Amino acid sequence: MSAPRRRPARKAAPAPRPNGHADHREGALLRLTTAIAAARDEGAIYRSMVEGLHDEAIGYNFLGVFLLDPATGDRVLQASVGWDRIPHGMRVHPGEGLSERALQDGRLHYAPDVRRADHYVPSLASGSEVDVPLQADGETIGVLVVESAEPDAFGEKDFEILSAAANQAAIAIGRMRLLAAERRRADEQKALLDTMADLSGELELPKVLQAVLARAVTLLGVTGGEVAIFDEARQELVVVASEHIGKTSTGTRLALGEGAMGTVAQSLEPLIIPSYREWLGRSGKYADIQVHSVMAAPLLIGRRLVGAIATVHADPSRVFGAEDLRLLNLFAPQAAIAIENARLFTAERDRAGEQKALLETLADLSGELELPKVLQAVLSRAVTLLGVTGGEVAIFDEARQELVVVASEQIGKDSTGTRLKPGEGAMGAVALTLQPLIIPSYEEWLGRSGKYADVQVHSVMVAPLLIGGRLVGAIALLHSDPARVFGADDLRRLNLFAPQAAIAIENAQLYTSAQRERQYFRAVVEHSPVAIVTLDLEGVIVSCNPAFERLFGYRLEEAVGRNLDALINTRATLAEAQAYTAQAGQQTARGIGRRQRKDGSLLDVELAGVPVIVDGERVGILALYHDVTDLLSARRDAEEANSAKSRFLASMSHELRTPLNAIIGYSELIEEEARDLGADALAPDVLKVRTAGKHLLSLINDILDLSKIEAGRMELHLETFELRAVLDEVLTTAEPLARKNGNRLEIRCPEPAGTLRADLVKLRQMLLNLLSNACKFTRDGAVTLTVERAVEEGREWVRFQVADTGIGMTAEQMGRLFEAFAQAEASTASRYGGTGLGLAITRRLCQLMGGDVAVASEAGQGSTFTIRLPAEVHPPAAAAAQH
Amino acid sequence: MARILLVEDNEMNRDMLSRRLARRGHEVEMAVDGPEGVVKAAAGGYDLVLMDMSLPEIDGWEATRQIRAAESGTPVPIIALTAHAMAGDREKALEAGCNDYDTKPVDLDRLLGKIQALLGAAQ
Repeated sequence: MSAPRRRPARKAAPAPRPNGHADHREGALLRLTTAIAAARDEGAIYRSMVEGLHDEAIGYNFLGVFLLDPATGDRVLQASVGWDRIPHGMRVHPGEGLSERALQDGRLHYAPDVRRADHYVPSLASGSEVDVPLQADGETIGVLVVESAEPDAFGEKDFEILSAAANQAAIAIGRMRLLAAERRRADEQKALLDTMADLSGELELPKVLQAVLARAVTLLGVTGGEVAIFDEARQELVVVASEHIGKTSTGTRLALGEGAMGTVAQSLEPLIIPSYREWLGRSGKYADIQVHSVMAAPLLIGRRLVGAIATVHADPSRVFGAEDLRLLNLFAPQAAIAIENARLFTAERDRAGEQKALLETLADLSGELELPKVLQAVLSRAVTLLGVTGGEVAIFDEARQELVVVASEQIGKDSTGTRLKPGEGAMGAVALTLQPLIIPSYEEWLGRSGKYADVQVHSVMVAPLLIGGRLVGAIALLHSDPARVFGADDLRRLNLFAPQAAIAIENAQLYTSAQRERQYFRAVVEHSPVAIVTLDLEGVIVSCNPAFERLFGYRLEEAVGRNLDALINTRATLAEAQAYTAQAGQQTARGIGRRQRKDGSLLDVELAGVPVIVDGERVGILALYHDVTDLLSARRDAEEANSAKSRFLASMSHELRTPLNAIIGYSELIEEEARDLGADALAPDVLKVRTAGKHLLSLINDILDLSKIEAGRMELHLETFELRAVLDEVLTTAEPLARKNGNRLEIRCPEPAGTLRADLVKLRQMLLNLLSNACKFTRDGAVTLTVERAVEEGREWVRFQVADTGIGMTAEQMGRLFEAFAQAEASTASRYGGTGLGLAITRRLCQLMGGDVAVASEAGQGSTFTIRLPAEVHPPAAAAAQH
Repeated sequence: MARILLVEDNEMNRDMLSRRLARRGHEVEMAVDGPEGVVKAAAGGYDLVLMDMSLPEIDGWEATRQIRAAESGTPVPIIALTAHAMAGDREKALEAGCNDYDTKPVDLDRLLGKIQALLGAAQ
């Protein structure tokens, strides 16, 4: 707690955990953001912040905003909720309270148990406090203090929410202070403007000058006179007041050196012309008036020319003398000061106008997001303010690397939609240089674009629109009046608008792309055949798509606000579904399960859930359901059929073996007895019976093995044994087979070979299978069994390699090698014997023990079979659980 | 040469095995089911019992347990014979009191080897 003697308004308030549903909380956060953005003054920002965070959907109970008073270093309470007894404006002095730390280092601080924190001023008996710094323009200006009566009440998520709120408030404060400064400036300008308007009777230049002139004419007793002001931009005099000279000469323009006033404007010295008609410097513009003599004087502020005054005598008897000149010089400064005042006034009025236009632009930008409208408004104002003929604004299409004109004003045609490559035309030129550009005479400019051939353009001023250093567009203004040119002041004023237009473009593009993306995803979701539902973090449905409505039979409005798991589960599946939802809150969850429709019918679904993350924060869950009822029932049927097949084969094999045992046994008996009885002639036939019986028996045994494996009933009898002993035993058994075809049988094995934990009987069966195959398909060659140990994937493995120099196989033959009944060719079985099941069994036994078998071979080049087994085989269930 | 009690319910198997053992010089007595096997074994006078495990009424495991329970002197060696070459059968047989275990169909030489080993150990 950062304030002394503070007491909570609510006793035993619940811990300030976010307790609403996430969509309510999202709504509340959105309201908070909106309220902060809409606040009209800083006080409103602070109130919006504490009230918004207090919203029950967000659920913080004790909140206060303190601002630093730079004069005293005190923290002054600006707004609070839950601290009703604490007066607004209460001060916390330096050295008091926890909130000072956030102020000092500009970081969020958390005291999980305030009783253990230094400087805590005990107001709640216990609890926790978060202090979030408020920053504006890079300075910490205050602290948001959030408290709970519970210790350890805040977590990472709270810090995120509170920091986000503080950030939004900081942005709003920064913007508001900026706007306030602008407004203050504009207000000052407006006051000046108003004052000047009050004085306009006296200040309006032509009237003042006319009055000055009238008084001068009377005093000097002359026929009449004129006053002209100097147009600095065009270096010309313009007559603005005229008295009794025989015509209305106002508006007449005189170049420097032209006529009497032109002459004094150039020489900056008074001039008396005794006989105007004979004077060589006279201007043709005064040919039609009766003028005898003329006296003219420059109007100066210091040595700077602001205008000229002239008086004339029409009466040939009157001439101007030194006394007249002295009198004229009494009036000249008055006229000069009036002109200067008026100029200053106009400049001020223009500047105030600029500020006003800028303010209106700012207001527009916050109010409007539709880009062309905003840009058109910005452009209109720029055109008005700078007094130009017209202009254009283009945005930079980054995908196509082109400028596209989107706003166009008074340029003689509608140029919107015109595309300009960088380097093309005036705007294209600044797109390359990123520097403003003034083109005094566009017709003569070599870089002009053919796209503007039909437009009256005299001079052009262009500025790039930049965000940071990145081009987002360009603005161009033009004069079609040949008399007008652009100067530095115009550029200064254009630069008032350029950043506003740039920001508008940037904002609008961000907004548009976000909107487009939203529309795209909405369309995808709407038309997806997969049922899609979004949930808040508590598993409550926020929205769902039509496919979801169809699949489960709930309409959107029935589903929203309900807990998804409760809605579509039976008691049997609820726990499993909730586990998926919990997982999906953190990471992708996938599975297959049974769910219930509104009408009570059940369906099988494949489901996937993923957390929805916005700005690094988990805000909900997206869940997908795909109806696999038919698929699953088909699979169940297939599995059932397969299992039935396996059971049938198993029992068949068993039933077949009993009579077969008798056949083999009796044939052996007959062989022996025939030998005893001397009936040797019977022996070959009996041997055939016995051989055929034994072949049938091994076929049946293999089928039994396979069906047991497939039915999942093949058990592993795991034991740890010495590898060497097994190898010797296998070699002894295989030796006669090798010898039969004249093969050498070799074994390569490290010493000591070490131990293996596996099913000994099945390992022996697999090795014998490979060795007998090798011996069978090799004649007068070599069969080598190589054993190696290796560590791979973090476990120890044993590799058994059986290589022969026999007939080998083609790639095609190898393809189906490990499938049941797939001895490379049907003819092979009859030629080489065997059941054709050995390799299929070997592979499945390998897999059962967590290993595998592979083959490398080439026709005519022999074959190499490699069995790879873990040195420590785990029971299949345990092996599955490890993955 | 030994006196062997063959407990086997299948007539063909019983006939074949007894004749083949007899040809190798053994004297074979037969029992057709569990109870008969238990009674004959209890009467004594056999050097070894070959016990089929899948018998009607009481099976080979139970019969073996009963024989062992009734024994007083030197236990008679019993070899279990089973068509179910399943893992665990061997342990189950040894647990019930059998001395060894062999699978059917009988490989006569292998069986004779086991018989010889047990009789040799007994002597």
